[in-house]
Amino acid sequence: MASGATEGLSRAEQVQEFVMHHVQDAPNWHIGPIEIPLPEFLTVHLLMAIIGTSFLTWLFGSYYRKRISTEKAPSGFHNALETLVLFVRDEISIAYLGEKDGKRLAPLMLSFFFLILTFNLMGIIPVFSTVTSNLSATAALAVLTFVVMTFGTVLKNGPKAFFSAFMPHGIPFPINILIFFLEFLGVFIKAGVLALRLFANLLAGHIALFSVLGLLLTYGAVAFPVIFLGLFVYMLEILVAFLQAYIFTMLSALFIGQVFHPEH
Amino acid sequence: MVGSLAAVGAGLVTIGAGLGIGLLAAKAMEGIARQPEATAKIQTAMLIAAALIEGVALFCAIICLIGINSGA
Repeated sequence: MASGATEGLSRAEQVQEFVMHHVQDAPNWHIGPIEIPLPEFLTVHLLMAIIGTSFLTWLFGSYYRKRISTEKAPSGFHNALETLVLFVRDEISIAYLGEKDGKRLAPLMLSFFFLILTFNLMGIIPVFSTVTSNLSATAALAVLTFVVMTFGTVLKNGPKAFFSAFMPHGIPFPINILIFFLEFLGVFIKAGVLALRLFANLLAGHIALFSVLGLLLTYGAVAFPVIFLGLFVYMLEILVAFLQAYIFTMLSALFIGQVFHPEH
Repeated sequence: MVGSLAAVGAGLVTIGAGLGIGLLAAKAMEGIARQPEATAKIQTAMLIAAALIEGVALFCAIICLIGINSGA
C-alpha cells in the first residue's frame, strides 16, 4: 500500500497521507494497484458524477418505458423504486409545499433525493468514490435550493411580496429592520448549511472508516479485530447515506415551503 | 492530526454531539414508554432530529480538519 513517495515520513504522517489520499479528489483513478490517468477535464469525483447520473437516467428511463407499455402491476425492484418515488412525492413534496406546488416541484425533490442517494451509495462500493464528499458538488445542489427559494418566490408571489415576507407585521419599526436583516441573511445561511451538512456527514464517514483501517497500517497484523470496528462504521455509513438524502430533500422542501407560503 | 490542538477540539465537539443526541434519545425512550402505540412516529422524529444534531457536530469536525497543521 505504501508507495515510494511515503517512505521518508513518520508513521503518523503515513497514515494521514493514506486517509487523505482516499477521500480527496485526484486526477488519477486509483483502483487497487492500478492508477488510471484521467484526461485533462476529468477528475475522479467528476467521473463518478457522470457515471452516477447516466446510471440513474438509464434506470428510471427503462422503468418508465416498461411502465407505460404494460398493464401489469410492477414487481421486484421496480416496485421498490415506485414506493420510494411515491414516498418522496407524498411525504416530502406535498406535505411541505401543499397540493399544487407540491406536484409542481415534485420532480425537483425527486431529483435531489435519488441523485444524493445514488452518489452516497456509490461511495460505499469499493472501486467508486463519493461525489457528495466534495463541497463543490453539495454546494451545487444547495444553490439549486437557493435559486428556487429566491427567484422561484419572486416569480410566484412578485418581488414586493418576497421582501415583505421578511417583515412580520405587528412588530414596532426599529426591530423590524433587524428582523428583516436576520431573515434575509437566514436565506443564505439555510442554503449554505444544507450543503455543509451533507458534505460533512459524508466526508466524516469516510475519514472515520479509513482512520480505523489506518490502525491496521500502524500496528500490522496484530490489530486484526479492528476490521470489525471498520465493518460497524461501514454499516453506519449506509444508514447515513439514506438518512442524509432524506434530510437534504426534506429540509429543501421545508425551506422552499416556508418562503413560498409565509404564514407568520 | 495527531498531537495538534485540532484533535482536542474534535474531542470536545464529540462531547457536545454525544450529550445532545443522548438527551434526545432519553426523551424519546420516555415518550415510547408512555405510549407504545406512537412508537413509529417517535422513532421517525428522533432519527431526523439526531441527523440534524449530528450535522452541527460535523460542521465543527470539518473546521478541526482544516486546522490540522496549525497550533501546538
